[in-house]
Amino acid sequence: MSAPDPLAELLSACGRGDRAAFGRLYEATSAKLFGVAIRILRREDWAEEVLQDCYVSIWSHAHRYRPGLSAPMTWMTSIVRNRCLDWLRKPSLEVIDEDGSVIDNALSENPGPLAELQRSADASALARCLQALEARQRQAIALAFYDGLSHAELASHMRQPLGTVKTWVRRGLLRLKACLGEGA
Amino acid sequence: MEYRRKPELQDRLAAEFVLGTLRGPARARFRRWLREDAALARVVDRWSARLVPMAQAVQSRRPPARVWRAIEERLVGTMPGTGSGLWNSLAFWRAVGLIASGAGAVLLAAVTVFVPPAPQPAPAPLVLRVPSNEFPASYLAVLSDPKTQKPMLIVSARRNSDQLWVKALDRSIHVPQKSLELWAVMPKGQPPKSLGMLSREQKTMLPLREIADHSLADVPMLAVSLEPMGGSPTGRPSGPVMYTGPCVQYW
Repeated sequence: MSAPDPLAELLSACGRGDRAAFGRLYEATSAKLFGVAIRILRREDWAEEVLQDCYVSIWSHAHRYRPGLSAPMTWMTSIVRNRCLDWLRKPSLEVIDEDGSVIDNALSENPGPLAELQRSADASALARCLQALEARQRQAIALAFYDGLSHAELASHMRQPLGTVKTWVRRGLLRLKACLGEGA
Repeated sequence: MEYRRKPELQDRLAAEFVLGTLRGPARARFRRWLREDAALARVVDRWSARLVPMAQAVQSRRPPARVWRAIEERLVGTMPGTGSGLWNSLAFWRAVGLIASGAGAVLLAAVTVFVPPAPQPAPAPLVLRVPSNEFPASYLAVLSDPKTQKPMLIVSARRNSDQLWVKALDRSIHVPQKSLELWAVMPKGQPPKSLGMLSREQKTMLPLREIADHSLADVPMLAVSLEPMGGSPTGRPSGPVMYTGPCVQYW
């Protein structure tokens, strides 16, 4: 993290109104952020709309980005995830697990993105700490994070009482924090 | 607010906010606190640093090109930290035409000052022979980004030549899957005339229909718009205006 992140430089150039830098930032990050949005929203048209909003927002808030406070990708991903969660809150929208893929992903032995995480050197500590969680805690946290499930949705997908999944999430988060250390 | 005196509650709310399980009115309320409470924001930042890298593992998917197009359209005329404005409206083009025809003298002065450091125009077939230490009689324009005022392109044509040369001062002006089209902004609200598409080379030569003295004499201003590949489908600027500058006679 000590080497200057090229994304941080692009972001600060965007903050000065550099449109070309913004184009490069989009090139470098949009595929990952689109993937994040599709995974939570499960509908490409919604994900496209959210992505649009988010990049407009990234452009107009780039001057507020502070490299010392968060990594560029963390900052941008948070913008996208927040927007996705707001989107899901719209009362008219009901996320439907039409093909059951959410449940399948959740219940399969294949950890999916978590396995991917272990291969990524940057996030290896995170992957290790996730692996160290109890399976149910890990599953609940992954479903909440990757698929945007609420407590109630977690309870229904995992077929457990609401209080139980809330406890899994809370304990899982506490253990993750302890495992990653305060410096994380 | 109750949470301030309960660091454990604060930490838990921040964690669930970042994870996404804090939902509905509770999420909205938490976000209001966040805006007013820098200490709480730092707690959230720490949780983001812990959890958000999980997103690295999500499978990437390249968004369709229309997403970038839509973003660009929404950004036209905006600067970070400001609201949005539209440069690509008919009103803009009319206004540019009016301003340009009225303010020629002032603009001329501004551009003339800028001329000395400008590079020599690329060699064109010599119609007039001029001493090599004197800048040939030419039409000149320096096109800049209206927001940053940064000069981006130099356009020149010798007055008796039918070749218009465009030099990009910054090669990053080009956008993938898009073309930059150069326009002559006409006086008195007449529609702009296309002068051609910029190549991706540093220099582009665009043939004029007639020699510059005929085709540029009445043109107060040049502008570049961002268009679909191959140029505007309508014959008028259809995309955002990226760069503008007065067109002046230098002799």
